[in-house]
This record gives sequence, structure tokens and C-alpha cells, in this order.
Amino acid sequence: MNWNLFFGELVSGLTLGSIYALIALGYTMVYGILKLLNFAHGDVYMVGAYVAFFVLQWLGGPLNTDVAGWLAIAIMFLVAMLACGMLGVGIERFAYRRLRNAPRIAPLISALGVSIFLQNSALLLWGPNFRDYGTFDLINVKSYRVGANFLISNIQILTIVTSIVLMIVLTLLVSRTRTGKAMRATSFDREAAEMMGISVDGVVSFTFFVGSALAAAAGVMFVILFGQASPLMGFTAGLKGFTAAVVGGIGSIPGAMLGGYLIGLLEAFATGYLPGGSTYANLYVFALLIAMFLLRPSGLLGSPTIQKV
Amino acid sequence: MKKLVVAALFAAGVAALTTAAFGSSKSPSRAASAASVSSGAVKCGSTRYIGFMAPITGPAASLGQTQVDWAKYYVRLYNKGHKKSKIKLVPEDTELGGPNGTAAAVQGAQALGSNAKVLGVVGPAGSNEVKATTGALKGAGLGFVSGSATNAAIATDGTRTGYFFRTVPTDDDQSKSASAYIVNKLKLKRVYIIDDQEAYSIGLADSVESQLKAKGLTVGRDGVSQQLSDFTSVINKIPQNTQLVYIPWQLPPKGQAFGQQMKGLGRGSVKLMGGDGLFDPAFSGVGSNVYDTFFPVNTKDKRIAGFKKLHKGQTEFFGAPTFEAVHVVSAAIDRACKDGKATRAEVRAQIKKTNIPVKTSLIGLPINFAKTGNLKKHPFGVYHSSKGVFVRVG
Repeated sequence: MNWNLFFGELVSGLTLGSIYALIALGYTMVYGILKLLNFAHGDVYMVGAYVAFFVLQWLGGPLNTDVAGWLAIAIMFLVAMLACGMLGVGIERFAYRRLRNAPRIAPLISALGVSIFLQNSALLLWGPNFRDYGTFDLINVKSYRVGANFLISNIQILTIVTSIVLMIVLTLLVSRTRTGKAMRATSFDREAAEMMGISVDGVVSFTFFVGSALAAAAGVMFVILFGQASPLMGFTAGLKGFTAAVVGGIGSIPGAMLGGYLIGLLEAFATGYLPGGSTYANLYVFALLIAMFLLRPSGLLGSPTIQKV
Repeated sequence: MKKLVVAALFAAGVAALTTAAFGSSKSPSRAASAASVSSGAVKCGSTRYIGFMAPITGPAASLGQTQVDWAKYYVRLYNKGHKKSKIKLVPEDTELGGPNGTAAAVQGAQALGSNAKVLGVVGPAGSNEVKATTGALKGAGLGFVSGSATNAAIATDGTRTGYFFRTVPTDDDQSKSASAYIVNKLKLKRVYIIDDQEAYSIGLADSVESQLKAKGLTVGRDGVSQQLSDFTSVINKIPQNTQLVYIPWQLPPKGQAFGQQMKGLGRGSVKLMGGDGLFDPAFSGVGSNVYDTFFPVNTKDKRIAGFKKLHKGQTEFFGAPTFEAVHVVSAAIDRACKDGKATRAEVRAQIKKTNIPVKTSLIGLPINFAKTGNLKKHPFGVYHSSKGVFVRVG
């Protein structure tokens, strides 16, 4: 057994899974409340990555930052999350709110339209070329060896820890706060929640804000890890985030987290162990999606929907 | 509701029919127009038009921009030195490496084919683009000279003989130079090769793999998609005792990302070698463990100093063969235009007769073409990254 390879793929999978989990959370939260698949979510992730790039340039660029590297990264996170949170609220307000009572296909098409709009806006505004973040110039990237076979870098640790912290904050927000209670009530029964005095519009806007902020955080983590962003990076990441949400159980927050890590680990181990893994990793991921739909449509932690007739 | 549905279906049907009628009425005449353009003689005015296909935008834009810079530089020198005739480039963006594959390149080729003023083409840049655009360019009778398409088979498969030429050695030459350097100079024993699943990369990787194995080296092999950004899982597969990773990729940002991720995973001491597609400051900036293969540019040429002056002291050589490609096509048009008019067939015939001696050639090689369209003399140089810049070492 090649333990070096095993632990290497484990760390890669957990790192990638952290990013997918954050994207999946946005999908699952919106679906839980509105029963809407927000296909523009992957492109919000892309916008988050670009916002972080422009913040970095404003701070002086990776070689000449006006502040310490780690502080620059913290500022990139905060600004990107805030900006994309507002973007998410705007998208909901203008593209989905009026379609809340329309047949389900209408907001779905609108979501696809928003996705294409964001992609092409990014292409128009920022051009199609890759943006280099210069992570290695910004911070001192180091690898730590634990034992003979386990190697992990400081930016991988940052990614995994940050995503776990964000997921814990989200879980506490949903389970321990009044706003979280309102979100759960709206998710359970929107009409009843409204009758109980809960501002559904406010809850929905807040959900979009949080989901989009998490997507932005995922975007920033991606570019710190892999150093580059492009306008079309959101498409595949969004699909994988959606897959993670479905695999975990769409509408279930723990399910989205589990699904994200599962997809990340599948991709990494498929690359490491399966024939043609590097080339066909996406094939294995989406094959899992199809298998999940066939065998357990409600996902790993989702519950079957009972419809009263 | 039913009426609305019926009305909508009717409107859609009418729209479909109209589009089909319009499309069918357009396409034969467009095909006819390209065909008639290909055979007709064009009066050689004071301005001569050369089609120029390059990845101006997209993932390979950094390479395309160098080709644009060098092509424009040639045009500037030519127009300054000629009073009676001027060259003008007709650009088409091929978006090499983009999500639409070679679609943009094919559209560009069709546009150039339909443009009666265009007598010859420089480009396209990628070997897969050359394959995709051959039908359109050949159908329009246009000769096309690439400054960067290096896949060996595209000149020898017979599909575009007499139409396609290149001012750059082939991947066969490149693979020989890379393998010889790895074996004889670096004296390595364990190499890992990763291609990017494109024609150029697979061809070069296959060739280097077989040559290294023939010399008794241990060679591992893998492939990644050009769209991939996370290489950590692939890097984990590289055996710990690997001495060099060969990545003949087309996109310098990907080469840069790979090199940085290797460093991030503690594999920064492993040597990296790229092909001419990675001959870019983004890749050389990764570190002193980086090597690359590229043709032997004549760095002392005065024109290089002139280029440097125009570009604020910056110079790079990936576009130098494109400079010579424009030179080849413009000289062919001049010769074909001696009687005041020229056909595309005449320009192609003149391209075949090109004879630029090494003293005049910017790329350190004489430019004359074999029947296949390849250069008759064609060695590749090996470069090593020193302080972020590639320096020739072999």
C-alpha cells in the first residue's frame, strides 16, 4: 500500500471537498426555502474570486502588499463575502422574487439566464485571460510532514479549517438564533411562517446573502490554493457543488457538507487510483450523481418528500 | 390558453422555416463566394492584405499576444521600408484553449476565405487549429504559414500539402532535443510525463516517452484536462523518486500553476521541463528547476533590439517565428504581384519557393520549405530558467 499516495489524496480530497461543501451549502439553503435550484450560484463563486483579486491589487499586489500577507487574505475574504452577499440579495430581488409563485420551470430558467449573464459580464469586463494571484509571493507557502507519509501545506490547512469554521458558524446561526428559527420555519411551511408574522422576503434575502457569501469564501479559497481565476471557472464548480448538495440530500445542511467532502474525496481518489483517473475524474463524480438519483433520490441525509393528496 | 399555445407553436414554426430558408439561401452563395474568391485574380493595390489567425483572447492569450506583437513589428518594418506597397493584417481571434474548442478558429478561417482581398494567411497557432481550419482555408485556396503549430503529423499526413507551411521546427525535432538533453546532459533516470490531452501535447509526450524508454529510463505517464486547475491529486501520483516531470502543455498559466503546486507540496526540487508552448515568463518564473525547449533564436539580431525598444525593454521570443511567417507571406505576395495582379494559387506557389538565408532569418534557421511544408533545417534548442528568464543551455 502506497501510504504516501493515500494520505496525499486524502488531503487533496478534503481540501477540494471543503470548497465544494461551501458551494453546496448555498444551493441547499436556497432550495430548502424556495425549492429553487439557483444555477447562478457557481458564478457568484467566480465573482467572489475576482473581487478578491481586485482587493489584492488595491492592497498593492502580491509582491508589495501594504499589509501582512495573512491580513491581506483576511481582508480579501471579508470584502468578497460582503460583496457577493449583496450580489446574491440583488439576484434574488430582481431575478427570482416575482417568480416565487410561478411554475417551477420559470425561476429555473431565470437562474440559468443569470448564470450566463454573470459569465459573459465577467468576460466583457475583465477579459478571458487567467488572473494570477501570486499566492507564493503573498505568503510563505510551507509544507509540513507528519510521520513518514503525511504531508500537508499551510494553505491546505487554512482551507480546511476556514471551511469547518464557516460551517460551524452557519450551523449555529440556523439552530441557535431567531433568524435561524425563522429560516427553518420558512423552509418548513412558507405560508404558515408568513401567517405567524415572519417576514418571508427578509428571510429569503438573508438566505441568499449567507449562501452567496459562502460561495465567495469558496472562490477566495480556490484562488489562494490554485493561484488563478478565469470567468468560466464557476460553471464546473457550480455543477459539482450542485452534485454535492444532491448527493448529501438537497435541503439538508449537514447533507451538503457531507456531499461536498464526498465529492472532493471521490475526485481525488479517482485521480489517484482509477484508470484514466486524472482525465475522467469528472465522469466519476457525475456518475455518482446519476447513481444517487436512481438509488436514493432524496440523498444520503435527505428525507423523502411526502405529498398529501 | 390553448389558443396561446397554438399561436406560439405557429410562430416558432414560421421562425424555423424562415431561418432555414434564409440559411440555405445564404450558405450556398457563401460557399460559392469563397470558391470564386479562391480562383479569381486580385488586382495588387498599394495595400496587400494578409490574414492573421492567433489566440488573441482565451487561455493562450499570453502566447497569442506575443505573436501579435511580433507580426505587427514586421508590418511596421515592412511599411517603413517600402514606399510603393504596404501590408495590412486582417486579424481573426482563434481563442485557443477556450471552452468552444476550435470553433472560433474555423469561423475565422471561413471569414478570411470569403475576404477577396486576403491573399495568404499567417497562423493558426495550434496544431489542433491547423487540423480544424484546413478545410476552410484549403477550400478558399489560401496558403497558410504557422509560426507555432509543431505537431509532426499535420505536415506529413498529406491532408494539406502545398497549402500549409511552418516557420518552426516540428515536435519530432523538439522531442529529440528534449530527450537528448535529459539523457546526455542532465543524465537522469526517472522521468514522469503528463500531457494535456490535446493533439500537440499528446504527440510530443508520446515521442519523448518512446525515446526515453529506448534509452533505458523509467518513464511514468499521465494526462490532465486543459481546463484543470487543481493539480494536487495528479502531483500526489508522481513517484517520490521522480527526477524530472515533462509537461508539453500549451497554456503557460497552467504550467505556472502546476509548478507552484509542486512547490506547495514540497516537490519543488523536482525538475520541470516544458515544450515551446510553455516558453513564457509565467513558466520560467516558477523557479530555477524549470527547463524548456525552443528553437535557436538569434538573440543578437538588431531587430530584436528594435523590438525591445518598442516594448519598454520587454522581449520574448515565442512570437519570433510568426515574424518570419509574415515575412514569408508578404514576400510571396510581392513576388506574385510583379505583374500587378495575383491569385491565391500564385501566392502559394511563391511561398513554396521561399529562400530566406540564416543571416536574414530571425529564428536562427534558414527558411526554405520541404515538399511537406516543414523547414528543411530544423533543430530545437534547450533553455534553462535563470533568475526568472530562459537562457539557452543546449
